[in-house]
Amino acid sequence: MSTQLTARPAQPAQGDHPGQTMERLTRFGGSILVYVSFIIFAVVIGLPFYFIFISSITPSSELFNIPPTYLPSAPTLENYLKMMESIPFLTYFRNSLIFAIGSSAVSVIAAGMAAYALARIRFPGSNILYLALILSVALPQIAVLVPMYQTFNSFRLVNTPYGLIIMMSSLMLPFTIMTLVSFINQVPAEIEEAAYIDGANTAQIILRVVLPLIRPALFTMFLINFIISWNELLYPLVFAHNVDTKTLSVGLTELTDPGSTYTKPWDQMSALSVFMIVPVLLIILFGQRMIISGLARGALK
Amino acid sequence: MAAQSRAAQPPGRFSRLTLRQRFYIVAVLLLLPAVALRVFTAFYPFLQTAYLSLHKYNPAFDHDGPVFVGLNNFTRIGSDPVVQASIGFTLLFVLGATFFQLTLGLAVAHLLNAAFRLRYLARALVLIPWAIPMAVAALGFRWMFDDQFGIIPDLLRTLTGANVRWLIDPNNAKLAVVSVAVWKSTPFVALVLLAGLQGIGRDLYEAARVDGANAWTCLFYITIPMLLPILITTGMFMIVWQLAVFDLPFLMTGGGPGFSTTVIAQKIYLESNSLNYGYAASISMVLVGIVALVGAVGLYLFRRFDVSA
Repeated sequence: MSTQLTARPAQPAQGDHPGQTMERLTRFGGSILVYVSFIIFAVVIGLPFYFIFISSITPSSELFNIPPTYLPSAPTLENYLKMMESIPFLTYFRNSLIFAIGSSAVSVIAAGMAAYALARIRFPGSNILYLALILSVALPQIAVLVPMYQTFNSFRLVNTPYGLIIMMSSLMLPFTIMTLVSFINQVPAEIEEAAYIDGANTAQIILRVVLPLIRPALFTMFLINFIISWNELLYPLVFAHNVDTKTLSVGLTELTDPGSTYTKPWDQMSALSVFMIVPVLLIILFGQRMIISGLARGALK
Repeated sequence: MAAQSRAAQPPGRFSRLTLRQRFYIVAVLLLLPAVALRVFTAFYPFLQTAYLSLHKYNPAFDHDGPVFVGLNNFTRIGSDPVVQASIGFTLLFVLGATFFQLTLGLAVAHLLNAAFRLRYLARALVLIPWAIPMAVAALGFRWMFDDQFGIIPDLLRTLTGANVRWLIDPNNAKLAVVSVAVWKSTPFVALVLLAGLQGIGRDLYEAARVDGANAWTCLFYITIPMLLPILITTGMFMIVWQLAVFDLPFLMTGGGPGFSTTVIAQKIYLESNSLNYGYAASISMVLVGIVALVGAVGLYLFRRFDVSA
């Protein structure tokens, strides 16, 4: 921080040497460039959301106009009502919440415990175990789907929220462990050592000393994992067959039938899409900084 | 006698162990849930996939369980044009998408790092494509690319006069799928590279400017070399992660037109749904092999450049 401050160019002190006007011009040109690229960036990112939202409030009769409508003449909520009649929206919404909250809670708890052991306790084979856990992130989900289905089936875990939570939390473990290990490594171990000397036992140290220190990191990973599991399609698609386990992403595929464009209910699909986007948007508004730092930490270290 | 000695001991067997032994037990207990989850959903099923890949097994026909067939499944892949096409498109998809995610990601990272008023708005916006469900993005873009009712062909027609049919033409469909992947994941890459950019000291740029370097020389002689380890790890991560892509092409094009946008993962999904478990497992092993190969190359590159940097 301090190096940044001192190294910043001291422009006000620069007097009026001949290059000054030129420099000011390039600076002005530079800031125009920045704003122009910001506008392009914002349009490219925002356009799909605008279009999904507009489609969700456009009467379905108007939706299939050529050329497409960019603003509905009479905005309506009928698409939302129709969508809720086509699929059991509230049940799926509840299932999605259970799935996402359960998976992120289990993954953060299991990863937090493992990360503490890997970062703080030296035991034979700890490096190999860490590598094996981290590298298993590269194993494609789809490559083990059939054996996993058979195993989960024999444990009667197919079609249950528990089964889905087990597989989803496990999927997110490697990245979560990696991020938390790098976080714990930055917390000085002296505080824990002092607590040991004062006679605290391991459980007390973990719950009273370590947990408060890494709570922000745990919360960040909870948010990130909530988003990832809220968005998950493949696992619920394969492992959830009844109304009480299917999630919203499965509901979205149920709305699309394999027919032509005409028969696809784009009005209902965009209404459901809006409902799937809003919770994620709220989380981002609320936790933007934490999420950015969490993502960068996991990927950099 | 026995009761007396037990009373003299602090309660519990745990306390009789040495400090080191106690630490090991704590470590095992702490690691148990994570290791159990990974074994149950990754390591053990992977061994089963490897086993199945050498067997013919379709539960609808092979009632006595898997039949050992050696490498037959793999030679069958050699004569299966759909699998080969899916490998080809997967590689094209992954390399094309990763290239643009890295280059555009570097550009966006510079924008997010620039000192301007809307910087924090830009940093909030950039998270959104990463955070929304891939299913929503895939279906939304399918609708936007639609030949008759989509806004992308319409905007292109209005702006340039070009009449492009996106999801009907095989090559354009490939381009469309790759561009959605770029749209969805460039922000993530940009955030990682932003953290890297913030780690480069400003004094380097100051010194270069004194020596008369312009923006491009700074980019190629300072920024990119300094970011090289991060660029390699991020690129490797994106390649490995996207090799397993499923939901995007599955929902956006269904793998079509024809099989032009079918990825390896979707082929495995199709074979599994037809209960050809042995064959699906062998295609899975090919996918894992490609992932391992890419990972090994990435690790090699990372070691080489990380030491030199």
